[in-house]
Amino acid sequence: MKPVVELKNLSKTIGKKKIIDNVNLVAYPGTITGFLGPNGAGKTTTIRMMVGLMKRTSGDVIIDGVSLNDNFEESLSKVGVIVENPEMYKFMSGYKNLVHFARMHKGVTKERITEVVNQVGMQNRIHEKVSTYSLGMRQRLGLAQALLHRPKFLILDEPTNGLDPAGIREFRHYLRQIAETEGVSVFVSSHMLSEIELMCDRIAVIQNGKLIDIREMSDTKDSFYYIEATPEDTAKQLLVNEGFTAEPLKNGLLINAEQHQIPGIVETFIAKGLQVFAVQPHRKTLEDEFLEMTGGGQIAESYTK
Amino acid sequence: MLNLIRNEWMKLWNKKSTWIMVGILILLTGGMMGIMKFIDVQNGKSTAFGNGAIEVSGKPDWKGSLQEELGFVEAQLAHDSLSKSERLDLEGQAKVLEYRLANDVEPISPFSKEGMIMNPSSLGGTVLLLTVIVAAGIVASEFSQGTIKMLLTRPVKRWKILTSKFLTVNLFGILLMVIGFIVYIVLSMILFKSGAGQELTWNGKEVVEVSIWSKSLYMLLLSFGNVFVITTFAFTIGSVFRSSSLAIGLSLFIYFSGSMVSALLARYEIAKYLLFTHMDLTQFETGMKLVEDITMPFSLAVLAVYMVIFLIISYTTFVKRDITA
Repeated sequence: MKPVVELKNLSKTIGKKKIIDNVNLVAYPGTITGFLGPNGAGKTTTIRMMVGLMKRTSGDVIIDGVSLNDNFEESLSKVGVIVENPEMYKFMSGYKNLVHFARMHKGVTKERITEVVNQVGMQNRIHEKVSTYSLGMRQRLGLAQALLHRPKFLILDEPTNGLDPAGIREFRHYLRQIAETEGVSVFVSSHMLSEIELMCDRIAVIQNGKLIDIREMSDTKDSFYYIEATPEDTAKQLLVNEGFTAEPLKNGLLINAEQHQIPGIVETFIAKGLQVFAVQPHRKTLEDEFLEMTGGGQIAESYTK
Repeated sequence: MLNLIRNEWMKLWNKKSTWIMVGILILLTGGMMGIMKFIDVQNGKSTAFGNGAIEVSGKPDWKGSLQEELGFVEAQLAHDSLSKSERLDLEGQAKVLEYRLANDVEPISPFSKEGMIMNPSSLGGTVLLLTVIVAAGIVASEFSQGTIKMLLTRPVKRWKILTSKFLTVNLFGILLMVIGFIVYIVLSMILFKSGAGQELTWNGKEVVEVSIWSKSLYMLLLSFGNVFVITTFAFTIGSVFRSSSLAIGLSLFIYFSGSMVSALLARYEIAKYLLFTHMDLTQFETGMKLVEDITMPFSLAVLAVYMVIFLIISYTTFVKRDITA
């Protein structure tokens, strides 16, 4: 599949500090890519460099085959953006806000504006002033302005900041729908792991300005089992002999075993006279993996080169 | 570009404050005219008591005062230190005065209908005050509202967006000028009586009559010069420091204290190159120049240089800035 977006050796230096260091990343049509990282890792900076809010120190962004460095206007015309909470002109109606942004793109008709308004379910209140809207409605309006020009690439920076659980769920549903029905490539940054886990097909993890991991969420995960048996030392010895890696977890052991190996293990334990209290599948959450990858609560700013 | 200007225009007029500004302009213009009328009536009363004849108030001695003025001009002409342009200017004045006395042509009284129409430059100050507020806020408010990131993530280059904003500010200034002018003219027609005078000028060869309307529009244009200069300054400060209050404060400070600075430094060469010396273009018509030997083309050139510097600063900072808020 041909990627919609390619980040090529993207770097940003402020003063002497390298904020973003040689980031390479691709995003494909119809998929939602999550962009994860601890606070201060460079998520927002990377996104702002992709949409022209910040200058790139070096590197380039290719959007649908057009370089942002060479042809800013054409390249960016394929992109829809929501940066954090979409701030609208509060003194105007939602509709006028959309007209305002539509005029800045080529070929957005009145019919298209109406279509998008219906799509995000705002038709009843679109002619009221934005200052009367709730945060959820502003978020919907934000989505509407990003979709006006039928972008091939949608970038969202912390889009669910401040939304309640129902709002987040609704938002997730919209994004899924857009990606699947219109083949839009969606790029979402967030530090809310559960949200990313539910929403994304792929995740890219950034830390201290470097991309440290890219993975598919659909990857069959390594299967883990939690076993509690006494005496623990003997159990561990047995497992290691069988060729498993056994890590202690709570009162028992965590082993990387497949489902079909489990009855054999239990039989061995019983035969050797061990007392088995629990055997259960263990699923590592994204949170565990994320903390593993980024080394816990380390704050990026304190990391100096 | 047209669409960008339409956007700015729409945002401008969707703010209540813009409509309030138009209201203020009309009120201030009306109030100013009211004060002029009041002074006129008071003057009329005092002369009327003195002479006992209302309709000829202040009339008998216009020839006397012109004679006096002519004497003064001729005395000045006798000096050798005059520059070429000053000499030409004074000679023109003398010719007009002689013509008036010889042919019995009365000058227009400033309190007649024609006199009021001829000098609408007092509008400039009000329009300037209001346009400065818009100019200072048009970029700064995008930052303070947080809408700048929505505005700059469009497939439109930044310089185009800034240009649309600058043009919008000037369009707004022109519109206020036109509204103010209409109110001014209508009130002049209603409040003041027509006088008998005729405006004259020396075109280099002979004394000719000047239409009050062309003179009026010319004065209006000159007073717009001030508006243009100060609003460009406010626009620059507003877009560089992203603070509209700083921009409004500095601009008005410059507007009010600038002429004082020029007056203080008038003896020195440097005064000729200060922005303040040249801001008020009506000084060439009224003859009250801040620095003696400046001419209109020189002033326009100095102003142009300042404007270019302001705009370069404004454009480079706006185009290069990283948007982090």
